Amino acid sequence: MRGLEAKLAVRSLGRNVRRTLLSLVGIAVGCALAALLTGLLRGVTRLYGQIAAESGAGHLRIAPEGWLAEREVDLRLRDGEAALAAARALPGVKVAAPRTRAQGLLALGTHVMGMEIVGVDPSAEPVAYRFVRKVVKGRYLKPGEEGTVVLGRELARRLDADVDDDLVLTVVGEGGQLRSAMFHVVGLVTSGNRDLDAGLCQAPLPDVARLSGREGIGEIAVLLSDARALETARAALAPRLPPGDVVLTWSEVVPELAGHLKQDAGVYQLLSFILVFLVLLGVASAQLTAVLERRRELAVMAAVGMRPWRLVTQMLMEAVVLGVAGAALALLVSGTLLWRLATAGLDLSRLLAGRSEMAFEGMLVEPRIYGDFGFWLVPYVLGLALTATVVASLYPAWFAARLDPAAALRVAQ
Amino acid sequence: MTTPLVVLSKVEKVFHAGKFEVPALRGVDLEISGGEFLALVGPSGSGKTTLLNLVGALDVPTAGRVQVLGQDLTTLGRSERAELRLRALGFVFQAYNLLPVLTAQENVEFVLELQGVGRERTKLARQVLEELGLGALADRRPAELSGGQQQRVAVARAVAARPKLVLADEPTANLDGENAETLMHLMRRLRDEHGMTFVFSTHDPRVVEHAARVVTLVDGRVAHDEAHPPEPPHEILPGIGKLRPSGGLTA
Repeated sequence: MRGLEAKLAVRSLGRNVRRTLLSLVGIAVGCALAALLTGLLRGVTRLYGQIAAESGAGHLRIAPEGWLAEREVDLRLRDGEAALAAARALPGVKVAAPRTRAQGLLALGTHVMGMEIVGVDPSAEPVAYRFVRKVVKGRYLKPGEEGTVVLGRELARRLDADVDDDLVLTVVGEGGQLRSAMFHVVGLVTSGNRDLDAGLCQAPLPDVARLSGREGIGEIAVLLSDARALETARAALAPRLPPGDVVLTWSEVVPELAGHLKQDAGVYQLLSFILVFLVLLGVASAQLTAVLERRRELAVMAAVGMRPWRLVTQMLMEAVVLGVAGAALALLVSGTLLWRLATAGLDLSRLLAGRSEMAFEGMLVEPRIYGDFGFWLVPYVLGLALTATVVASLYPAWFAARLDPAAALRVAQ
Repeated sequence: MTTPLVVLSKVEKVFHAGKFEVPALRGVDLEISGGEFLALVGPSGSGKTTLLNLVGALDVPTAGRVQVLGQDLTTLGRSERAELRLRALGFVFQAYNLLPVLTAQENVEFVLELQGVGRERTKLARQVLEELGLGALADRRPAELSGGQQQRVAVARAVAARPKLVLADEPTANLDGENAETLMHLMRRLRDEHGMTFVFSTHDPRVVEHAARVVTLVDGRVAHDEAHPPEPPHEILPGIGKLRPSGGLTA
């Protein structure tokens, strides 16, 4: 496209300033809202991914083959120590926390609670599992010690247990035998949520493995320094594992949350589509009006020899100018709002009826969500605005190209 | 004997207005040779504009044949007719029809750009405007020009690419007597200097006086076709630069 045609496109938009401004505002508002929704979705997905990762799932989890189908706590890694070493040697790994689980009973005096007891590495677990970071009484487990346990505050309340009490832990071992041992309560922790606290019981990993009669590591939660490198890390880790052990992502470990996020994404995308579609209709209407108003002018262009495809290009060029200007405005609006959302967040506690937290599938969901502000906004908004305006201008452009110059000039004169 | 530039054979054109058929041309036969200065006259609705549109490849006949520069327009597609208009025809309209967002200079350049003329189009357009006495107005937009000035810019646009045939539909209809005279002198000069063929429709008897041939249409038929001795050229009119005999319109 040459200079004068570009000039014509830019100046044509200036001949009806009010209509052009309205179109611009329509494009800007629609694209900015779509960008805002997408930024929120990206932020929420990242946030919930991190929440899921730090709520036990890890960004990645090394699990025995078949665990995903059975979710059986008795399964053990083929070679847990080798898998742990491989995970810890991988660049970009923040922490690799081994665990082993057993179903059992906790008893203190006349109080008995059935639950899942988790054997952990005390040096890695608080980094990988955020719910044990807040010790409300006593202390957390120490590396190398034996026969100790920490309880969730609510669990302790239900058992009427306290720091320095001794509990009897009974699990069903291999072959169906009941195996019991005494554990000393060294600390009470809180996740901030009563339901989660009621199911929290951690002991040193070797103790739980020995008690259950199933030696070894059941799973390794791997937390990455950068969650965006998840797939890369997975691809790098998988071949380093002993045969029989597999790497899962948090969305496979917590499919319920991943499903909810997918649903959210669907709703957000539908809303974005509706917004962009409305913008598209508005722009199409404005462009068609512009073409109808300029019938004579377009007829003259055709009369002096402008070929139909060049008329189409001319109209599309006007759409591109409109799209770029609309995108710039949309970037300004959505960028400002998303930056604010990314730094200050959006407090949804009112929607939680005043509660400061909410538990979902074993995770603590915080009422403040954050948007994702980044360079992705530029191609996203520009692409959206240009696509919308160009698509919206296709029919008006086709209409212009099909214009019968003789008829248009006859009507005009 | 030279080949005619335009040949119309038994040309008919019918327009449809709802259920009704409105015949605009009824079996017109006409030949126009290169370098003619031909006026189409006749009452309103006699078919003058329709005939110009057919010769200008803006429309196609309902029946008959229109040949322009040896090409049968009835066999050409939309794009091919656009190409013919671009390469060989120039148009001057009654309502000037300049592109309002472009300056006089840019309006002239526009056609040259469509033709694929490179950077020299700026110089060429300026030269044409200078030749037509519009150099000082080159940077003005149509809204900043008088009717006469706009029509002269329209003529500049029509002739800038040196077409073989220039078609003008009532070019003086919106001009006062002096401006109409100026325009006709300008067109005659362009014909004389560059051998362009001019075909124009008009109602104005003073304008007809300039024509070398007058074709009268009545009810879509050629009623008269007669040679007409044009009045002698007037003195050079104010605002119109004299065209150089060497062909000052070339780059």
